Amino acid sequence: MQTTLSREQALLEAERCLYCYDAPCEKACPSAVPVSDFIYSIKTGNLKGAMEIIVEANPLIDICGILCPAFCQDVCTRKQIDSTVRIRALHRYIMENTDMEENLEIPEATKEKVAIVGGGPAGLACARELRMMGYRPYIFEKKKIGGIPAQEVSSARFSEGRADREIGFIKKHFAIDVINKDVDSIDELANGYAAVFISTGLADEQDLGIPREALEGVYKAREILRDIKDGRTSKAGKRVGVIGGGNVAIEVASALKAENPDRDVEVIYRRGMKEIKAFPDEIEEANELGVTFQFMAIPKEIRGTDKVEGIVVTRAHLGEPDESGRRQPEPVPDSDFFIPLDTVVIAVGQKADKVFPGIQRKENGLISVDENMMTSVKGVFAGGDIVRGASTIVECASDGKKAAEKIAKYIEGSVGNV
Amino acid sequence: MYKEKDISIDFLGIHLENPFVLSAAPPTDELEIAYDGLKAGWAGVILKTTSVENNPVLLKYPMMSSFGPQGRKVTGLGNIDLISQYHIDDIEKRVRILKEAFPEKMIGASIMGARKEDWQNLVWRLKKAGVDLIECSFSCPQGSMGEAPGRMLAQSIEATEKVTGWVKEAAEDTPVLIKITPQVTDIVEVAHAVKRGGADGITASNTIPSLVGIDINTFEPYPSLAGKGGYSGLSGPAIKPLTLRTIAEIASNVDIVISGNGGAFSWRDAVEIMAVGASNVQFCTLPMVYGFRTIRDLKSGLAHYLMDMGFDSPMDIIGKAIQNIYSHDELPSPYTRAELIGEKCIGCGLCFDACNDGGHRAIAWDGNTRRPNIDEEKCVGCAMCMQVCPVDAIRMKEKIDDSLNYFVIRR
Repeated sequence: MQTTLSREQALLEAERCLYCYDAPCEKACPSAVPVSDFIYSIKTGNLKGAMEIIVEANPLIDICGILCPAFCQDVCTRKQIDSTVRIRALHRYIMENTDMEENLEIPEATKEKVAIVGGGPAGLACARELRMMGYRPYIFEKKKIGGIPAQEVSSARFSEGRADREIGFIKKHFAIDVINKDVDSIDELANGYAAVFISTGLADEQDLGIPREALEGVYKAREILRDIKDGRTSKAGKRVGVIGGGNVAIEVASALKAENPDRDVEVIYRRGMKEIKAFPDEIEEANELGVTFQFMAIPKEIRGTDKVEGIVVTRAHLGEPDESGRRQPEPVPDSDFFIPLDTVVIAVGQKADKVFPGIQRKENGLISVDENMMTSVKGVFAGGDIVRGASTIVECASDGKKAAEKIAKYIEGSVGNV
Repeated sequence: MYKEKDISIDFLGIHLENPFVLSAAPPTDELEIAYDGLKAGWAGVILKTTSVENNPVLLKYPMMSSFGPQGRKVTGLGNIDLISQYHIDDIEKRVRILKEAFPEKMIGASIMGARKEDWQNLVWRLKKAGVDLIECSFSCPQGSMGEAPGRMLAQSIEATEKVTGWVKEAAEDTPVLIKITPQVTDIVEVAHAVKRGGADGITASNTIPSLVGIDINTFEPYPSLAGKGGYSGLSGPAIKPLTLRTIAEIASNVDIVISGNGGAFSWRDAVEIMAVGASNVQFCTLPMVYGFRTIRDLKSGLAHYLMDMGFDSPMDIIGKAIQNIYSHDELPSPYTRAELIGEKCIGCGLCFDACNDGGHRAIAWDGNTRRPNIDEEKCVGCAMCMQVCPVDAIRMKEKIDDSLNYFVIRR
């Protein structure tokens, strides 16, 4: 868990920033947050100025201050002297000590209506940018506005209050209206909207493709996360195996362990510690909670008659690297072993659902877009996970921001409309 | 376990076990505190300025304020202190007690008077008590008494010479130091006046009149005394360059012993202050910030420096740098260019900013490799890039008469 900095700590940390020219932290940030500038403002005691710099750069900046993987910190020049400047902690310090509402000035909404389907990071970001240009964004959301941070990220990592603060801020000031409706065809929006932005994310979760996945006691990771987030007790039992090695796997493992510390939670992963895709911070957090790891174990079949009794896995050996650059697990002959479990949670990836007929998709179900982020249907744009595949909040917010510019150009007639 | 280097010196005929003395200031204003300072290893004390006035000294608090970045807040320290609240009756007793407890250490005392009788009375009483040295404060930023009321005595050439004469007449063979202010038009003229007055030495220099800061929400000056504030005497690292210049000018022009004071915060600073002509170094802000324990590193740092440099005694350092100080028109004009020490560069780009916006646009930036490229044609060798480099990866290559010299920052 990241800590909140005191004023003194923040000033000391800010002093460590070298204020690099052409700063690598800014280039590493998908939202191009002017990191060295906001830290410079902390040094001079200009917190409000620092807040304005970061809020203007990224529409979901508060959420990012907590949940961002902090690509900026990986490239910090200061690391070459001692250690990286704690940029995310400084960012969070500003957001906790300033008021985003102060001095806010939003132009009149006089321009065309734009429909945004999906109220997650990409959609919210797009709405804010469009609204700042004078357009009238309407957000269509079938569940709770705020996307994964609001619906699935555990409250321990990201409190309801914090989520509500920023999402509420965007909703209040930048969306003309939020319509609680499940839109699955663009035709519903044909009238009245000058453009559409699809940012529905990845609604479905992938299966493992092994026997008995439908057995009682087998769940998908995100349904567990949603249950916990909504304040319900999860359906998991006393011995849980989480299959996968991505951020969602670690997240659900941590959430289940935090929900009941007596419960055994083991992450079962096909490759080794080195290949795991989840961010180091999240792994560290899981470790602290007491989550355990079974590496080099390929799930073979779930066992059980009426309900889950365990999983059979095969010991893996790492072979040649695959297209992701990570070494591919290969089964070791005659090495099957059984792990007794009462619950199996599958967290091996997300996939796009099959809505929006008529919009061209790639083989993997993701929506295809051109260089202007426009889909195969004129005036319909898309961004976020539904285009990228599973990614991060900061990348999706960045998509929404870029899409807003493209949409504005399209409406003005300079893009894709000739 | 390790060789102990003798760092003792002779200062105006007084043997000091090391060149580091506690100046006339809060650390020497209480008997127990001064005692502890000597016990910790400081070579001597100059007890805080006393007088014969019967009017009580009305000190006002808060007295201190400082400035500097978080983590180094006391880069400059301001005080609105006055002379000691202790009368000469008390100081006399203290000199006796300390001298008895520390016969090998220097027990000095600082005085301030109005009339000739006051100055001389103070001297006689201290002499009788066994004082090793008398320092005269001609430079309290809050103003002197008598000859130059409201302003500093050392700002008047005539008063400086006259009062110095009174004091030395009474002191006879007891060494006298005159503590001056750098806040004058011509410091050399003041030093000459001290010399003509017959003093043995000069303490250069006192704190510098300043206004430490203003609270920008309430517009109260620092320090704020229920909302009101005034001018402080500034000390600490911020004033070291001013002290160096004051001492260097005196040492270059007047044949008089100098006790260095103002801005020394480490043994390195002390070496610099001695190199421009001081025979010993007084400290106040350093022990006020980090305590008397700082003497340990002062002594050990100096000892190692002397051994590494092959000097026998700290006295070998005195005035070493004076021969290298010249006026601008006497300075040479070497061919100078910035040179990047490639393996040290971390790619922060600060040299680029400095040269591009405040220099001669002689540094190009390669965004891909994150490295600066110095253009020798455009570089004039101003050395601004060297100042901003956080890892000292830039040095100045100087060529003159076929000889090559490098201006580098050595730490």
